[in-house]
Formats: sequence, C-alpha cells, structure tokens
Amino acid sequence: MLKQIEINTDPIQAILKQNRKEIKFGLSMCAHCSLCAESCFLFISNGNDPEYMPSYKFINSIGKLYKKKGRVSKQVLEEMRDLVFEKCVLCTRCYCPFGIDIPSLITLGRDVCRTQGLFREYDR
Amino acid sequence: MIKAKSKPIKEIFNYIEPYQDVLIVGCGGCVSVCLAGGQKEVNILQTELELLRGKRKPADQFRGYTVERQCNEQYLGALDDMVETADCILSMACGAGVQFLAKKYPDKPVFPAVNTVAIGVDLDIGLYEEQCRACGECVLAYTAGICPVTRCAKGLFNGPCGGTNGEKCEVNPDLNCAWHEIYTRLAAQNRLDNILEIRPPMQWQNQIKRTIVQKGYEQRYYQEEI
Repeated sequence: MLKQIEINTDPIQAILKQNRKEIKFGLSMCAHCSLCAESCFLFISNGNDPEYMPSYKFINSIGKLYKKKGRVSKQVLEEMRDLVFEKCVLCTRCYCPFGIDIPSLITLGRDVCRTQGLFREYDR
Repeated sequence: MIKAKSKPIKEIFNYIEPYQDVLIVGCGGCVSVCLAGGQKEVNILQTELELLRGKRKPADQFRGYTVERQCNEQYLGALDDMVETADCILSMACGAGVQFLAKKYPDKPVFPAVNTVAIGVDLDIGLYEEQCRACGECVLAYTAGICPVTRCAKGLFNGPCGGTNGEKCEVNPDLNCAWHEIYTRLAAQNRLDNILEIRPPMQWQNQIKRTIVQKGYEQRYYQEEI
C-alpha cells in the first residue's frame, strides 16, 4: 500500500476558523440556481462544463474542506488545486443573486492549497 | 501579460538591510506566469536572503506569502496582520502591485524585488518577448499587426527611416527593421495604401494618470456636467 503523504492541517484549520462565517454563508445560501455559471466566461467557453460553474468550484474546494474540517488527503488537495487554479482565473466577474462572494471563497481554496505548497506551476 | 524579471539579489539585499522582519509578498497573477514573482519564486528568494544574512544577523526574520493578485484590493486582506508586525515589505509583483501595496500600507517601506519589463508573449518556458508598450493609441490596424512603437528602435509612426539597412535596423544589425516587416506583410495582403498616408504624431493624451473606464460604465464613474 502506498504511504499517504502527510499534510499540515494547522494552517488549513486556521483559514477555516478565520473565515467560518463567510464559508457557512456561502454553503447555506447557494440555491444551485446556476446563474453564476452564466456570468463565467470559462464556463461558456468550455462548452458549459459543470466543473467550471463558479458555485461548483467553491463548493468543491473550500466547501469540501469546511465539511471535512480540513481533514483531507494530499490527493484530494491536489484535485482541489486543479479545480481552483486551472478552472478559475479569479476575474471576479461571477454574479450571485444571493450575494455570495464566490471569488473570495475560491481564493480561500487557493490559500489552503498554497499552505501545502500546491499552486499552479508555470514551468511544468 | 505583464513580464517582469528578478532584480539582482544584492540590490534586493541592500534595500532590506536595515530591517529585521521582512515580509516577502508574491503575486499569483502575471509575475507567476513569467516565473518572476509567484509562490515558487517567493520561496526561492526567502531562502536566498536567509542564506545571505543568516550568519551576520541570525535574529532576522523573513516571511513569505503569496496573494492571488496584488493589483486588486480584494486579495490583500490576508496581509493586514502580517504587515502589522513586519518592518518592511518586499513585493514581487509588477510596478502596479508594488504601488498598490505602498498605498495600502503607507507607514511601511515597500520595496520592489522585480523589474517590470514589458507586456509580452510567451515564446517558451522562461522566454518572453515584448510586443506592446501600452501607448494608448493602437495603430496595429494599419501596420499589419506589427507594432512600430514597440518593434521599431525609434518608435516611428511613419517609417522606415533612412537608417534601414535592407531588412535590418541601423541601431542593431541583429534586429529586424520593423518597418521592413510592416511593408512586406502589407504588400502580401495588398494593403500598402495603409502606409502611404502620413500619420500624425501621437497626442499622448490621458498620460497622468492613465485611467480606463470601459464603455457602458461612464455614468458610474463620471458625474454628468450640469
């Protein structure tokens, strides 16, 4: 069996704790109306692929971390890295009728990844 | 995108020498793409500075943190606590990011760790070429998509000059004459009439400070004159 690569959960939990209110608000207010998708140029230019929906991106990054209390494997974090760095450019143009600040939540997902040394590598 | 290049380590070291607690702030935008100021480069610079200063002033502290974009207030919030305890900030963003940080934290010295060089294209990993100087009056429509401001050594709007040497520039024999390229491409497209007309010099309007308000947003930012 492959040895699971350890992650440092302290900085992850610190980010979750510090931004608990915003994350909770986002997760509870999202009605999955998909209006945010229409405002995302990446969603539109990628054939309406649901993984590019802004709501999908924050729910499956910082939302997932929140629900799991920051206890996730390195592999999950790597998948998260691909989601928040490769499928979002943080143009801040996504619109939510309920007032969820989606770019800020995706940024938190990126912050978490950065604490584990996971970020977009441009020289790969 | 904006392209930048790391400053020599000794120059950076001189900036921060008087300070003990140095916060190195990277940017996840353009400077990450051109491998000058992203998280990886923050980590490298932090190690280099620690090695340089380590033995002489062991109590000194270097901290690194990368924000997603230094040119947008929205992404700077996480820095507040860190900046409070720092003696100075070393920004690895472009000139816009450095100035944005300096404005946000006016009581802290903010130093640039990179030289902002150009708006350019990626030729390969770590290899970039300037294509635009953001002059504000794009003339590419009549110069066959070749920018005379950027590519001509003299930035001529009406070229070529008398110094063109066949296909090469008199300033540097290794440099292609931009106006020769413009002529060749326009001729191939049967559009030479584009450069027969003398173009007036650039008006250099809206230079200080250049402000951009997109179409449809005028009313939001400009008060109507009564």
